[in-house]
Amino acid sequence: MFKKNFITFFLWVLLWGVCSAQEICPLNAKPPAELKSLKEFSAIAILHNGRVKPMDTYARHVLLQFSGKGKYEKQEPIRWLTGVLFGNPELLEQKVFLINNPEIAETLGIEPEKGRRYSFAQLEKGLPLLIDLAQRAWDIDEKNRSIVENEIIRVESNIRLFIQLTHVFQFAAPHPDFQIQNKTLKKELEFPEAQNYFNFLMVALRAEKLNELTRDLENKENSLWTETEKEAYQLISNLYSWSMYYNNLPIHIIPFFQHETHDWLSPWDTIHFSFNDPDIRKEIYFLSDMYQAKLGGDQIRFDLAVRSFSNSVENRLKREGAGSKYLRLELFSNQLQAFFWAKFLYLFSFLICMMALIKTNKVFYRVAWILVGGGFLIQAIGFIMRVVILQRPPVSTLYETFLFVSFISVFVGLIIERFSKNWLGLIISSISGFVFLMIASRFAAEGDTLKMLVAVLNSNFWLSTHVVTITIGYAGVCVAGVVGHIYILQSIFRPHQQELLKETQRILLGTLAFGLTMTFLGTNLGGIWADASWGRFWGWDPKENGALLIVLWIAMLFHLKVGRMIGALGLAIGSVLGCIVVMWAWFGVNLLSVGLHSYGFTSGLARNLLIYVLVQLLFLTLTIPLIKRK
Amino acid sequence: MNLFIKNLAKNPLVRFMASLKITVICLALLFILTLWGTIDQVGNGLYAAQEKFFFSFYFLGFGFIPFPGARLVLWVFFFNLLAVTVTRFIHYKLKSIGIIIIHLGLLSYFFAAFVTFHATKETYLQLLEGAGSNLSSYYRDWEVSIWKGEDNPRNVTSVDAKLLKPGFSLQLNDFGLEFHVTQFLTNSDAYLEQPQEGTEYLNASGIKSLKKISPNIEPEKNMAGGTFLLKDKKGELKNLLLFGGEVRPTGLSINDEIVYFQLRKKRHELPLTLKLVDFRMKKYPGTDMAKSYESLVEIDANGLKRQVLIYMNHPLRYKDYTFYQASYAIDKLSREYSTLAVVKNPGKFLPYFACFLTFAGLVIHFMSSSFQKKK
Repeated sequence: MFKKNFITFFLWVLLWGVCSAQEICPLNAKPPAELKSLKEFSAIAILHNGRVKPMDTYARHVLLQFSGKGKYEKQEPIRWLTGVLFGNPELLEQKVFLINNPEIAETLGIEPEKGRRYSFAQLEKGLPLLIDLAQRAWDIDEKNRSIVENEIIRVESNIRLFIQLTHVFQFAAPHPDFQIQNKTLKKELEFPEAQNYFNFLMVALRAEKLNELTRDLENKENSLWTETEKEAYQLISNLYSWSMYYNNLPIHIIPFFQHETHDWLSPWDTIHFSFNDPDIRKEIYFLSDMYQAKLGGDQIRFDLAVRSFSNSVENRLKREGAGSKYLRLELFSNQLQAFFWAKFLYLFSFLICMMALIKTNKVFYRVAWILVGGGFLIQAIGFIMRVVILQRPPVSTLYETFLFVSFISVFVGLIIERFSKNWLGLIISSISGFVFLMIASRFAAEGDTLKMLVAVLNSNFWLSTHVVTITIGYAGVCVAGVVGHIYILQSIFRPHQQELLKETQRILLGTLAFGLTMTFLGTNLGGIWADASWGRFWGWDPKENGALLIVLWIAMLFHLKVGRMIGALGLAIGSVLGCIVVMWAWFGVNLLSVGLHSYGFTSGLARNLLIYVLVQLLFLTLTIPLIKRK
Repeated sequence: MNLFIKNLAKNPLVRFMASLKITVICLALLFILTLWGTIDQVGNGLYAAQEKFFFSFYFLGFGFIPFPGARLVLWVFFFNLLAVTVTRFIHYKLKSIGIIIIHLGLLSYFFAAFVTFHATKETYLQLLEGAGSNLSSYYRDWEVSIWKGEDNPRNVTSVDAKLLKPGFSLQLNDFGLEFHVTQFLTNSDAYLEQPQEGTEYLNASGIKSLKKISPNIEPEKNMAGGTFLLKDKKGELKNLLLFGGEVRPTGLSINDEIVYFQLRKKRHELPLTLKLVDFRMKKYPGTDMAKSYESLVEIDANGLKRQVLIYMNHPLRYKDYTFYQASYAIDKLSREYSTLAVVKNPGKFLPYFACFLTFAGLVIHFMSSSFQKKK
């Protein structure tokens, strides 16, 4: 805690140190000329959260983190990020900072906005207060922090990151701190005579010469210093203070290899720590060139600088055997938005299914098939791309499990439809596909969804056996829950169609059996994994218990049915309630924040889970009396 | 045999036990216990919840409602399953082969659980880089170890802490010593200040008194402590204080010999010696997030030495023992320690067998019933 606070405090002291000498966000006086294409720039490799990804993914992540939106006023995230990095002054007025609690805005002296988003210019006045509040919020234990306190910390860290991002390319920006009027000094430093303003990089490259010029000044009285010496001294002082201030900045785009260690540095840290390496020095020149080209709106020069930079980085990575192969694929995946389109197709198909309730039509049936099939195909492509990019099965975070449950539910629905041919499978597919993808998209709002795994999960074999199987089990029971709903509705609206009810009951039994078998297998494979990594097959851990609850619940339903203690309706009700058991096992136990499966815990789920349970109970309370009446 | 089973199947008690209602009640009770025991872990920790809900025959819910524990429910469930096997599955038909396999699988689970519950020994081994040991420690159990200073190799006598209740005494003939327990605390704090009116104790670390504190919800974090009265051959009395957090043993002159006393976690002798050659932790570049932990160990089993890499999900198996990478520590001198969980479980493969059998039964049953319905 102390360390974290200290770092926060230290960073702010540094930032404010710079700010007191210069402006907070060193943006240019006029907007830099717009470039038509940022295609090459969006493919630059960047290390973020332990993973090398394209700049495009990073831009999406940061914009989502700041604003909770995927785009800013129809502007692609990469264009917005480029604006921040290359100093577009219009950004100060753009309302990108999301503050969920209006009282925070009021405390900072800002009129609360309807859209809950504020510009940097609005927030700037209240910054010292925000920093102070954030500092106090940090001092409170994480478990005891209120929503407002967490929000203060989030907003403050976003603004801090924004300021840091505007500093990333400052080494290439001409600045009054590096102004040279003296012609002799310009000549000594081999600068063009006509130019007065220079950037940090240009001066840093001549640091040795400046050292030479100022070496003897310590022994010379100030009044005796020549104009050249005075300017040289000022330059070297500024060089030093800039070096002190600008470090630990984001945008880790330059790989750095030393002995056995491998890290990625930001341009500033590269200048400080490894500028002597000729390849790395060349890369800094390319970045500087990129900045100048962006400022002048020179597309060809900009792309050339980006390509030269990327090429140099790639060559060095290959030489060290650390190449990142799938950046282009990830870019394509970002642009394809496979899960968005799949969700759209499932929704459309569901609407057609609803229309078919009024009037069955062969054309409708075919269109619904094509839409669900198309959604399934696109979703499968999205999955395959995730597997290739991450080199692991795509089921390890809560977000991914929602994607996977949606995928399996659609698949099970399609299989059911293939045999039953009575719309039931299509309804199951479209509802489950849409609902689970909808929930998944809420998790996607947390940022980059392609995450690295904690050490204990880092096993492709067990991820692809235990986690995949148990998630298929969840999907099976969820599908049974959907069928249970349908059976209850059919019992109300079509009580005399016994054949239809029997068919639905048969499907209900089948999906429950599928859910039980896969959950049972998944639970046991989990036991075997636990045995292999922790030394015990079963430890009564909440997540293990959750899976056991599903198995016990379905086993109980089957035994009740076999013993004729319940009928088809009881089974349907049990399946609806079974969904609640699955939700509890899936993410409800994570809310307890205890146990060995403490990875992937997500806040804000409790309310949604409670709403879900209440809705299900309300559904049963409203529908069951109707069946009895009929 | 067949006749015996037929007669057994007619027994009213067996017929009663074979009731499907008992099965449903057992499943429902297990469901409630599992849910309750999971939620209870939030406040009382895993260990207490296990003991109360899962390892007990009964307990008092909310302090006053008697409720069957999972152990009792599982025994009833086991007899229910046995009775069902005798009365129904004995007249098996080919179409119910899946059901029979499922329930045989479940019976093997009961057997596996019984063996694992009663025969598993869970200990740990913390090693400093370069150090080796053939003794692992229990997580929660303590012992008082006593040995003579001149012994080489050291001949240690241990007294299990479960016996250490005030008033307990023991005659240690090898040391010519009477050992009396005056106080034993499961979890305690140690103080260097002498209380105004209190006995003066002998202790190597200068500890003067102990204070009882409530047990930790994670019992492995408890720090035991105790005071003892020692009487040598001459009848001379010595008051001894031992605290679980001490690194050094307390050496006392007993019958003109130096005898050492130490309160420590109970030890378990391993059939091999492990030496930690190197501990490595890899992180994802640019983060503090661990990608992997691994311990390179040299094992010495009956004079045969070899190096083995133990890392997450890749334990070392030796006879009934399995060694897992559990955690690590770095001390103030930047020395690295690796902690290996050591589990001795003679029935470790039994759940695997039960799992295979039950899963196979489920697949056979559901597949065959789906085909039967098709027909």
